[in-house]
Amino acid sequence: MGEVILTMKGIDKSFPGVHALDHVDLEVRKGEVHALMGENGAGKSTLMKVLTGIYSKDSGTITYEGKEVEFTNPREAQAAGIVIVHQELNMMNHLTVAQNIFIGREMMSGKLINDSKMNEEAKKLFRQLNIDIDPTEKMGNLTVGKQQMCEIAKAISHEAKVIVFDEPSAALTEAEIDELFKIIRDLRDKQLGIVYISHRMDEIKVITDRVTVMRDGGYVGTLITKDSTKDDIINMMVGRVIYEDPKTESTVAPDAPVVLKVEHLNAGKMVQDVSFELHKGEILGFSGLMGAGRTETARALFGADPKESGEIYVNGKKVDIKSPMDAVKCGIGYLSEDRKRYGIVVAKSVAENSTMASLENFMSGIFINKKKEAKIAQEYVESLKTKTPGVDQLVVNLSGGNQQKVVIAKWLVRNCDILIFDEPTRGIDVGAKSEIYHLMNELVAEGKSIIMISSEMTEILRMSDRIVVMCEGKKTGEIDISEATQENIMHAATLRN
Amino acid sequence: MAGKEKKGNAFTNNPIVKAIGTQKIVVVLVIIVLALFFSIKSPAFRQYATLVSIFDYSYYISFMAIGVTFCLITGGVDLSIGTGMICYGLFGGYLITHKGMPVVVGLLATIVLGLLIGLLNAVLVAVMDLPPFIATLGAMMITRGLGSVLTGSMSITWPPASADQGWFRSIFKMNVGGRMLPVGFLLVLILVFLMSIFLNKSRPGRYIIAIGSNKEATRLSGVNVVKYQGLAYVISGLFAGLAGIAYASTFQAIAPGTGAGLELDAIAGAIIGGTSMTGGVGTISGTLLGVFVMSLLKTGLPYIGLQANWQQIITGLILILAIFIDVLKNKKTA
Amino acid sequence: MENFKNSPLVKKIGFNRIVLCGVLLLMYIIFAIVSPTFLSYSRILSALNYAYFLGFLALGVTFVIATGGIDFSIGPVMFCAALMGGRLLVKDGVPVIVALLACLLVGFVFGVINGYLVAYMGLPSFISSMALMMLAKGVGSVFTQTQSISWPQGTDPNGLGWFRNLIKMKVGGVDIPTGLIWLLIVAVICAIILNNTKIGRYILCLGSNKEAVRLSGVNVKKWEMIAFIISGTLAGMAAIAYVSAYTTVTPSGGDIFNNDAIASCVMGGTSMSGGLASIGGSIIGVMIISLLQEGILAMGFQKDYQYIITGIIVLLAVFADVRSRRRKN
Repeated sequence: MGEVILTMKGIDKSFPGVHALDHVDLEVRKGEVHALMGENGAGKSTLMKVLTGIYSKDSGTITYEGKEVEFTNPREAQAAGIVIVHQELNMMNHLTVAQNIFIGREMMSGKLINDSKMNEEAKKLFRQLNIDIDPTEKMGNLTVGKQQMCEIAKAISHEAKVIVFDEPSAALTEAEIDELFKIIRDLRDKQLGIVYISHRMDEIKVITDRVTVMRDGGYVGTLITKDSTKDDIINMMVGRVIYEDPKTESTVAPDAPVVLKVEHLNAGKMVQDVSFELHKGEILGFSGLMGAGRTETARALFGADPKESGEIYVNGKKVDIKSPMDAVKCGIGYLSEDRKRYGIVVAKSVAENSTMASLENFMSGIFINKKKEAKIAQEYVESLKTKTPGVDQLVVNLSGGNQQKVVIAKWLVRNCDILIFDEPTRGIDVGAKSEIYHLMNELVAEGKSIIMISSEMTEILRMSDRIVVMCEGKKTGEIDISEATQENIMHAATLRN
Repeated sequence: MAGKEKKGNAFTNNPIVKAIGTQKIVVVLVIIVLALFFSIKSPAFRQYATLVSIFDYSYYISFMAIGVTFCLITGGVDLSIGTGMICYGLFGGYLITHKGMPVVVGLLATIVLGLLIGLLNAVLVAVMDLPPFIATLGAMMITRGLGSVLTGSMSITWPPASADQGWFRSIFKMNVGGRMLPVGFLLVLILVFLMSIFLNKSRPGRYIIAIGSNKEATRLSGVNVVKYQGLAYVISGLFAGLAGIAYASTFQAIAPGTGAGLELDAIAGAIIGGTSMTGGVGTISGTLLGVFVMSLLKTGLPYIGLQANWQQIITGLILILAIFIDVLKNKKTA
Repeated sequence: MENFKNSPLVKKIGFNRIVLCGVLLLMYIIFAIVSPTFLSYSRILSALNYAYFLGFLALGVTFVIATGGIDFSIGPVMFCAALMGGRLLVKDGVPVIVALLACLLVGFVFGVINGYLVAYMGLPSFISSMALMMLAKGVGSVFTQTQSISWPQGTDPNGLGWFRNLIKMKVGGVDIPTGLIWLLIVAVICAIILNNTKIGRYILCLGSNKEAVRLSGVNVKKWEMIAFIISGTLAGMAAIAYVSAYTTVTPSGGDIFNNDAIASCVMGGTSMSGGLASIGGSIIGVMIISLLQEGILAMGFQKDYQYIITGIIVLLAVFADVRSRRRKN
């Protein structure tokens, strides 16, 4: 490790209603790989966005190469030598590798672009990185891993001094990760400062020199990697005090029948051989880190995305779910993590959204019985305590929590017995959160069954009767609530197999 | 996105096939098969005059198609080129025949009017952010009316080849020793060559492809996307102006209020040639090949007894087929 | 102004629609001042002749635009239907009623094809409907050997001209615009379909957020296709209105009416991005366009000015729509 190249000190950032960063520190030295760790929503990405000028900070200082800096956009940061290799790649698939690397600063001979020179330069870059990519290949034809290598090459061609890797391994295969690590070590040896954001404990141990842990937007501490154990880091990540009482015992009757059985479900890379059972009256928590494949599992189960193989049994009967239509017929309802895109039609009213999945029950002949529709919508507005001036209010005017209640109402009006709640409290304020929790408990008490996907550990521990843990598309653990701890869940969630 | 690298079969992986592009080879085969089909079916088709006529049709379609290829590559479209071409040709011809201006002025006026409408489209689409198909639909209506208004609803005939001022017609068809030579094809080839270089070797061309591929990523790379997206429409307008000249030079009269539907010949040509409706993909040479399919059909179908009405049906079917293939290709890569 | 905008009556009718009615009235007054013949009853009847068929086209395309799509085939489909029905009547001697039904059937079939291409095969609606426009033009003229077809006149000795009473009936020497009743009845039915039936509900919702509707277990492809079928069938009905008004149809035409119909819709407050549609607005839009084209003729201008004005109207209306949406976000 060399001298300090980048120091972020006391970085503070608030968004309306959220204190996203609370006096966070980060120090990066030349020739080190510095891990930035934390659960989902701990503030890692926000911190990096502040660094590269996508967000402006409220207070705190950034010192880079001995000078205080403040970038106003990523291009300024890039020009200064700070580059992010994003998880979502910003690539133009129809251009070649070299054309992508040099976009916006093409090499010219006269008025014409000198593609052969750009290919040469790209080749040089790749040679430097010891990777084998044809610069004339179209970007869209490369694997995600190779595309990432190209982003790294692009970063280096910008003469980057600090490179931030934002969960680079999420979409890579084992072999590609090895290759990535080789490159990262190379870069470290060339005295670059590297920030490595990841959830994967094993990787952190392998590749990084120091670890900074964040939690709930705050700075927890920095460790020397080789002097610390995996458990040390996990403890720092989850060591928050849990205010709400976690459930200690399953409330499901031991003889409760299985209402949903999923066997060997496969759908792409993110859902591999997933099997589980859901009992009547149970809340089955799905825990895991970002990109664990939980949402993908839910969508494949619901028929929203095609599945490759696997069997689904509802109430003991094998069913063939090919589309959401089929799933809804089987009494399954799905609350998406992205309400606005997949849950509600914001330009329509509360009543119209409430009956979206069950309109045929509100028909008088060929006409929609708007009175009946308004009545049932009103009933659910009252029972779910949705705050709205009326059922003809457009959903766009409601708050996040109340929008969520409208989606729940949609499935309750449809009388679905199996509900998949995907991040049900994301973006919802505290008060509305506990209302949603209360509601879920009422629903299972009435004999409905819930699959709850959640990235919030407290939510998982408070609500679930049983917990399925996923990591990289595979089920890596199933824990009864009586035995569940933050540590053993996090352990399973970082288990690479 | 994730997954293995794409593998083709032995044919598509052949280096020569790769360099030219599978679709273009298929299109060349289609052209050959069509030409053979017409020749066998109709002896009258096997004439030199037919060949000249195929070229005559190809000029104005080529110009429109070259221009609209740029719009398609950005992920947009320009529906105003058909009515626009007629409008510009009417205006230029009107200046010559009714205002007594020199032919050169008429030619320039045709191009300049095309540029102006292209600029209008550029502002509507790139600056004001209107959906391309509806913005250029507006321009289509405007040019349709404008052509008639500018000329007082009269048909315009540019000076005939025999007249002193008819020299411009020999840009496209030259009388050499009693034989009409389709020299316009040379001009088309030169323009195809130049615009290919512009598309693939100049910065503006590169950015036009990049915008069609991923507009946001292009913007984040520091490229002025408004400028280059707009440029595609200006190019399209310019080439619609050139198409107006080609149309005026190869045909007798230009009638006001026509031209609607001709844009589809050009768009179909571009898509047949491998340009994608979703943007980011397209070649000028492919477009030229596609245009020849269209002009071959326009010329050939009457020889087997299928008049203009059948051509419309066949154009419609070809368009559906070409877009469907495009949709399938995109599904495969997605 | 704010008070006016917020009064319950204004809210119920819609502020935009009131403004449009004002525009309509103002246009009428201006035309009447410039050209005194405009006040004559026959002028009004003539404007209405244009409004009938345009009204059916606009009503139909309103459904397609509500899904977030577009249909450029309606005008040519109308002509194709009129040509095919006319040929059956004039050349093949089928009863008038069969010819009229044939018009509807032709429109329906084109609607089915268009809907299938867009909803099930995933083609972009603007280009697939343009392809269909070519098909409609071609089929129509193939069917009639590229000849114009004249439907029977009202004075037809064999009494075949009765269908013209659908739009204009002479009662005691006075022409009664029966077409207005017909158009209004269909418009009311369309409004009911759009606002009070499953079809309309799903069409509007999927135009607003297709994926959310699909994830609610709704067969979105089916409902999207139905919008195109409505559009096609109403284009068939427009054919009946057209021949009732003008009797003669020439092959290979009709595409200019697409633009008039689309302009009527966007002017009336139907959003090009889908999810928002107003039948009443479309009808007022149709009246404005019809009055405009009649006014332009009455003032001695060529029809070409109308194309330019319609083009500008479309651009302005769409720009206003894009801007208001951006402000909301």
